[in-house]
Amino acid sequence: MEYPQTVGELTEKLRQGGYIADRGLATSLLVSLSLHRPVLLEGEVGVGKTEVAKVLANVFGRRLIRLQCYEGIDTNQALYEWDYARQLLQIRALSEQQVADEESVDKLFGPKFLLERPLLAAIRAGEQAVLLIDEIDRADDEFEAFLLEVLSDFQISIPEIGTISALAPPAVILTSNRTRELHDALRRRCLYHWIGYPTAERELEIVMIREPYAVEALAEKVVAAVHRLRELDLAKPPGVAETIDWVRTLGFLGETALTPAAASDTVGAVIKDRDDLDLVRDQLEDITSGA
Amino acid sequence: MPDQPAFAGVLTGFGRALRSAGVSVGTGDVMSYCSAAGLLDPADLVDLYWAGRTTLVSRKDDIPGYDATFRQYFLDEAAPAPELLKLRATAAAQVQAEMVMPSTEPGTGAEEEQAMLGLMASDVDALKHRSFAACTASELAALRRIMARIRLTPPQRRTRRTKSGTDGRAPDLRRTIRESMRMHGDPAQMFWRQRRVRLRPLILILDISGSMADYSRHLLQFAYTARHAAARVEVFCFGTRLTRITKALEHRQPDSAIEQAARTVVDWDGGTRIGASLDTFVRKWGRGGLCRGGVVVICSDGLDRGDPELLEAAMERLSRLCHRVVWLNPHKGTNPNFRPSAVGMMIAAPHIDLLLSGHDLASLEELAALLPVLN
Repeated sequence: MEYPQTVGELTEKLRQGGYIADRGLATSLLVSLSLHRPVLLEGEVGVGKTEVAKVLANVFGRRLIRLQCYEGIDTNQALYEWDYARQLLQIRALSEQQVADEESVDKLFGPKFLLERPLLAAIRAGEQAVLLIDEIDRADDEFEAFLLEVLSDFQISIPEIGTISALAPPAVILTSNRTRELHDALRRRCLYHWIGYPTAERELEIVMIREPYAVEALAEKVVAAVHRLRELDLAKPPGVAETIDWVRTLGFLGETALTPAAASDTVGAVIKDRDDLDLVRDQLEDITSGA
Repeated sequence: MPDQPAFAGVLTGFGRALRSAGVSVGTGDVMSYCSAAGLLDPADLVDLYWAGRTTLVSRKDDIPGYDATFRQYFLDEAAPAPELLKLRATAAAQVQAEMVMPSTEPGTGAEEEQAMLGLMASDVDALKHRSFAACTASELAALRRIMARIRLTPPQRRTRRTKSGTDGRAPDLRRTIRESMRMHGDPAQMFWRQRRVRLRPLILILDISGSMADYSRHLLQFAYTARHAAARVEVFCFGTRLTRITKALEHRQPDSAIEQAARTVVDWDGGTRIGASLDTFVRKWGRGGLCRGGVVVICSDGLDRGDPELLEAAMERLSRLCHRVVWLNPHKGTNPNFRPSAVGMMIAAPHIDLLLSGHDLASLEELAALLPVLN
């Protein structure tokens, strides 16, 4: 399916895929898809940065190629690697004469022995792929510099084979949790969007689209309680993912109302830090009541 | 797009307005903005807003500036809150006035100083053990020059990243194969992947409150040197609240860098709230991963006017987040049997890995020497 031309259409398509995007995010995505520019999404933990790429791929029938970044990731894990074990076997199998032969050596570094890694896969798939480069801030800055090259030209040079370039670049979504400041050069290559916490109405909408069987009155109370939690001085405020988890947990336990007792039993779904737990437990009454 | 050149003129004008508001906007960004606006409905202000926000803004901190400029430029709104600007201007002026280095401290050590002054100018060694609080202006200038030569090297750690080498744990098949091709297919020599090593991040947190007034400016100088000596250094200041001055210290000229840093900080020579400041640090930066695996150096006398429980919790969290905590307390001096008397210091003590004085040049050199082996 083609990508849509207007913000409204894109928002609607994403909604059908179960993702509620606000106007800003939809605009960023639309511009990114039309201008073939990567988009960098930053935001609090659990606000749906990764999810949007999945839904985008799903809705428009693209292949999602995910590159999860971590410290020490290098080109072998991101780009391509030769299948060394098979190469070794092949070399052993070659006769003396064949080794001297140009052609058999060329074969040794042919497509048969090339292992595709996410970036190469995305460039080969071109327009048919959505490339998700997840948690780019976890990779070290050498990797970031390397990524710059790939993202600006969408081509990769493999010395033994030559240059592989994408006919039409894939849609690229980068996410970052801001554990480290990204380089300006990378930011300049990308469009940027900050995803904040949604408003209560929007969050309720998100919960209901994700958990269609949830009781709406209960979901509303949970959303209100989570919003109150975010106002507290917590070390790790709950994200939207936590709200959904909480509704799901309560639903699973068959609770129909958010009583202090029920909240106390299930608070582990939203609060995941001991100090925060102590703080919240004292105020559970207030948090659940006013909703 | 209707009336293209005129419209593009409006958009580039907006880019210029953003630039003068301090948001860094390149020509390429403005071009993306124009093409993005071309895709959308240019008569719709909301589209214009979001198109600009995604193309012209590249970091969260720039969003408020962008919003204000957008309102001014497209909606003709007057510049907001003049009193706030005024406040900033006076604060900056005050700081500048205070940045003048204090001359000799009158009182206790006056005669001693008089006697030693002749030696000072030439004798670097004697100068080294002179407390910053008791120095004259010219001595301080000399100290600054020496300080600029201290190299801070944080300890190293092994990373997950590997490089090729002659020994190691995992085989480097890529290189082994490449080499064996040259040997007609016989894997003659084995190559291995070695883990690389890398400097740990260094985080300086400086107390610039009233009780530390005699030391804080030198610590700032020290921070500048450190910032330029090691790769990953973050610098923070606190009195009553925490300010990040890493960006300000990036300036290449030491004087303007320090001046800029001083301007960023608004609570010079005020009270101290160590607990609250460290708590902010842990919440806002520490948990984000800024100090994970790093060495945190706190320079403070530990005279805290805030809640001791807050300090305890913050120190505990900090010590769990980072690799090592070093505390420089100028009041420790050269006394090896120093026992902290300030409450803040006593609370923080169990979480400190290394306590140094940092009151004179020699102790800063001691820190520089101990830092690389802090494992």
